[in-house]
Amino acid sequence: MSAEMANEIKLISGRSHPDLCEKIAKRLGIQVARTISLNYSNQETSFTVGESVRDEDVFIVQSTATGDVNEGLMELLIMISACRTASARRITAVIPNFPYARQDKKDKSRAPISARLVANMLQTAGANHIVTVDLHASQIQGFFSVPVDNLYAEPSFLRYIRENFNPEDCVIVSPDAGGAKRATSIADHLNTAFALIHKERPRPNVVGRMVLVGNVVDKVAILVDDMADTCGTLVKAAAVLKENGAKAVLALVTHGILSGNAIETLNGSVLEALVVTNTVPLGDKVERCPKLRVIDISPTIAEAIRRTHNGESVSYLFTHAPV
Amino acid sequence: MVRNIVVLGGNSHPALVESVCNILALPPCQRILTKFSSGESRCEIQDSVRGKDVYIIQTGFGGNGSRLNDHFMDLCIMISACKTGSARRVTAVLPLFPYSRQPDLPYKKSGAPLYNKPASTDNGSRKDYTFESVPVTPGPGVPRSAGLTNGNVPDLSSRFSRAALANGSTSPVKQNGDHPANGVNGGHRSTGSYTTHDYENLTHAYAFEAKPGYKQWVAQAGTLIANLLTCAGADHVITMDLHDPQVQGFFDVPVDNLYGRPLLKRYIQTYIRNYKDAVIISPDAGGAKRATAIADGLGIEFALIHKERRPTKITDRQNASMMLVGNVADRVCILIDDLLDTGNTITRAAKLLKKEGATTIYAMVTHGVFSGDAINRVKASAIDKIIVTNSVPQDEHKQALGDRLEVLDISAIFAEAIRRVHHGESISVLFNYD
Repeated sequence: MSAEMANEIKLISGRSHPDLCEKIAKRLGIQVARTISLNYSNQETSFTVGESVRDEDVFIVQSTATGDVNEGLMELLIMISACRTASARRITAVIPNFPYARQDKKDKSRAPISARLVANMLQTAGANHIVTVDLHASQIQGFFSVPVDNLYAEPSFLRYIRENFNPEDCVIVSPDAGGAKRATSIADHLNTAFALIHKERPRPNVVGRMVLVGNVVDKVAILVDDMADTCGTLVKAAAVLKENGAKAVLALVTHGILSGNAIETLNGSVLEALVVTNTVPLGDKVERCPKLRVIDISPTIAEAIRRTHNGESVSYLFTHAPV
Repeated sequence: MVRNIVVLGGNSHPALVESVCNILALPPCQRILTKFSSGESRCEIQDSVRGKDVYIIQTGFGGNGSRLNDHFMDLCIMISACKTGSARRVTAVLPLFPYSRQPDLPYKKSGAPLYNKPASTDNGSRKDYTFESVPVTPGPGVPRSAGLTNGNVPDLSSRFSRAALANGSTSPVKQNGDHPANGVNGGHRSTGSYTTHDYENLTHAYAFEAKPGYKQWVAQAGTLIANLLTCAGADHVITMDLHDPQVQGFFDVPVDNLYGRPLLKRYIQTYIRNYKDAVIISPDAGGAKRATAIADGLGIEFALIHKERRPTKITDRQNASMMLVGNVADRVCILIDDLLDTGNTITRAAKLLKKEGATTIYAMVTHGVFSGDAINRVKASAIDKIIVTNSVPQDEHKQALGDRLEVLDISAIFAEAIRRVHHGESISVLFNYD
């Protein structure tokens, strides 16, 4: 191997999700780089680098903690720009939960397309590559002119369903028309039935009337979605499924944002369980909500980092979840 | 009345937006700017901006329960929303430019103190603030609410210097190149990770050490902020009293750096009796140019406080690490600076001046941020009167400091700059009028 290839993976963690980064590091058998981020008393974020990143392959892991999105995003941008000025060979931003993914179109006059702004900002800061999980809309990849690897939680979900249920007893349900594609893909892989709930949404974070399309009688209804925010949709959908004769209802969601009163809403709902991945830091929510189960997504991300670093194909991960 | 101008305000300084709009005689742009429950900013601009000249006012200040980074992201989102809403030109008006000053080393004993969630700041009954106080450096074993007693600091700083010495003596050449095992090098710690993530618990921060043989450094965000504003779509930037005028060079778009100097000058001429006999003081060498400009403009004397990095000899004239160059005995002193953050520099300077025989001490600062314990420190200091501009909201500071704080209004300057920029007139007259 030539000296040129001797660069290593440098894993840098932001403040938002150190736990995930630690797991990735463990998986890769390396140490998290010595860096530290702090806020000064005037609230400006400061990032200190304690080891050389010159000519290294830098991976910066930063999720966005619920309620602290902008803080996490600014920190990420500062980290990227710092590594760039420190002559890193390549900077990959690993953003398991892409911020502002839902603001991806101009749905009203003068509405900001914040997802595109975030994409531009990341590139301006100096990111050469983006790794993320289950983008709300895969078109967001088009906002970037650098490569974006959109990993899927689907293989992990498939394994979870196969390990915990008999697929023949299940119906995969999409809580809205937008998620139909995601849900049908899982249903196809498991060879199970599929149903869809149609909803009307008058205002953001408010849920309207719901109609079930399909049959869930005496089945385990598994709701599949990419994010659970206030959980209003999920809980209402669960109630609708229960009314329509479902034996049990659970939900598989990639990003457990769980903002506002989500935990209380969940605890009082007919949902049997909410299964999320650890793309978003959950804090004490697992203790506060007995219905919450967590699937570890770090093996998938770690493997993507390893493959990216070695220049191998990542597409294997779209269908398989590393154990 | 000016046509085709839209003035859009962020959440950071509504009062300034309102008074700029009043002067320009137009209503502020209707908008919704809040947060979704997930923490993402939500922005909707309700008035048409098509073909308009849009000015977005957002200052770089997080306080009163709001966060600086939120304001900055809001600004970028608003710029981008106006741009995609077919605005003809978008100008970012930042009275205080965020991230304009970043120290290179974060944890020196005189360095910028770190952000603590405001848990214990409300009970203003603490008596241990003096003007000798240094920003507290909470460390292992030091309670976070320890206040500003000097006693903790030398202990901690000597620990750091020892750590630095230990690091410095380790030549990188002798290292084998792999991670030094715990216990071999500075091995009083057993955790594997050196990254800290805890907003609340700062003990990690002080245990942080760079890899042996590597000198730790702090990222400078200035260029990034400039690039982000340009990338969001800002066509023009208006700001005031940049800490480093070089920041203008970070931008590819025009930057108008307005001066608060004329306002300060006018205040001196109007309100300070016998100002011809006063002395203008710069609290550090970096601000000398700023201060001399005012001194020359008024034709009065100038003195400088020099920060000695390493105290050579403890003499009577020397106050810790500060030295006065010039004579202030029996004179009125006017300290001039651009930014009051924690107030450490300026309160220590004031103490030194008092010691040197100054009669009255005025402190004139363009941006009064008053972060951390600044309010209490200023209260306990030798400063008789502190004069700031409303480049950041001053209501709370005014409440806390009462008559000792004088707030100068800059909305007229910004309104005039906006009017002139819109009409394509020269704004250089704003730089030097008296």
